[in-house]
Amino acid sequence: MTDLQAAVERVVAALGRLAAVGETIQDEWIYVHDLETVWTARLRAVAAGQGSMAAPPWPEIEAALSGLVAEADRIADPHRAIDWLSTLPQATLVALGEAAW
Amino acid sequence: MRFQDAARDARAVVYAGVQADPLVARATALLADATPAQRVLARAVMNGESTDPAAWRVMFPTLFGSSATATGTTERDRCEAILDASLAIAGRGDQVRSQFRGAIVEAIAELLLARRVPSGAIRRERRILFDGVVAEIHPYDVTVETPGAAEAYDCKWGARGISPDVLHQLDDARAHAAAEGERLLPVLVVFDARRSCEVRLARQTAPRTGTRLVTIETLDRLAGRRPEPPR
Repeated sequence: MTDLQAAVERVVAALGRLAAVGETIQDEWIYVHDLETVWTARLRAVAAGQGSMAAPPWPEIEAALSGLVAEADRIADPHRAIDWLSTLPQATLVALGEAAW
Repeated sequence: MRFQDAARDARAVVYAGVQADPLVARATALLADATPAQRVLARAVMNGESTDPAAWRVMFPTLFGSSATATGTTERDRCEAILDASLAIAGRGDQVRSQFRGAIVEAIAELLLARRVPSGAIRRERRILFDGVVAEIHPYDVTVETPGAAEAYDCKWGARGISPDVLHQLDDARAHAAAEGERLLPVLVVFDARRSCEVRLARQTAPRTGTRLVTIETLDRLAGRRPEPPR
């Protein structure tokens, strides 16, 4: 596993924790897990690729992803967690110099 | 088919105050000309918990890091201004920030539309009435009232706002207009990634084929522009 893949796996783990918070909104249980599944696949595909030509230096990426994971872990409200299940992957992709979608 | 101002009920009066807040206008002006990455920054900060701008600069190295545009350039200044405005909105508290975010998406849509169609044709908070059809209670956020080519917009901060009611209202308007021989394009504007919107839509059975979806990465299409390449 590369450094990038390891860092992205930490984001994926944070997505899992957001899902655990968000799924407490019972009507959104399926949506929450669909979001987690789809964005996890997208993030892992990017991590397995060549990396973006527009990527910042690695220490800045590492710090960015650590910061985003910490921010996600601050989310305690389930409604906000559902928002972050979509926001965290987009912000991660921007940090990697990738298209955010 | 005809358009009508929404009733000025208590909700409308309160919301009009939100729409008129200078912070909404400030964020709207910045985000209308923002890059996709800058819009994601705004989305994250307005959804987030941290109030320290330095922490957000670390989280967005492509906008603020060593490879970003230099300090003092227009783009860097816009990044800083978006961060500042977004933090100001996040600092208003949960309920208020939710209202502000919705108002900002509507205002961005209005501002971008004004670059494509005459501003006199663009209206806010309007109902659409059809002969023999009970009017919808909820007004459309933005309408383009061009004879023969009307458009009706529902604006959402996040993909989660896409609901069967929203999809039915938009499609019903299109169908009722068609029944009267009129053309009405329903559009759903979502300040969220298309991927998340598609996830939301995947399990909806409400009609959507006649409704156009504009998402955070394609907002500029409202102005008749192709989306900026990602950076």
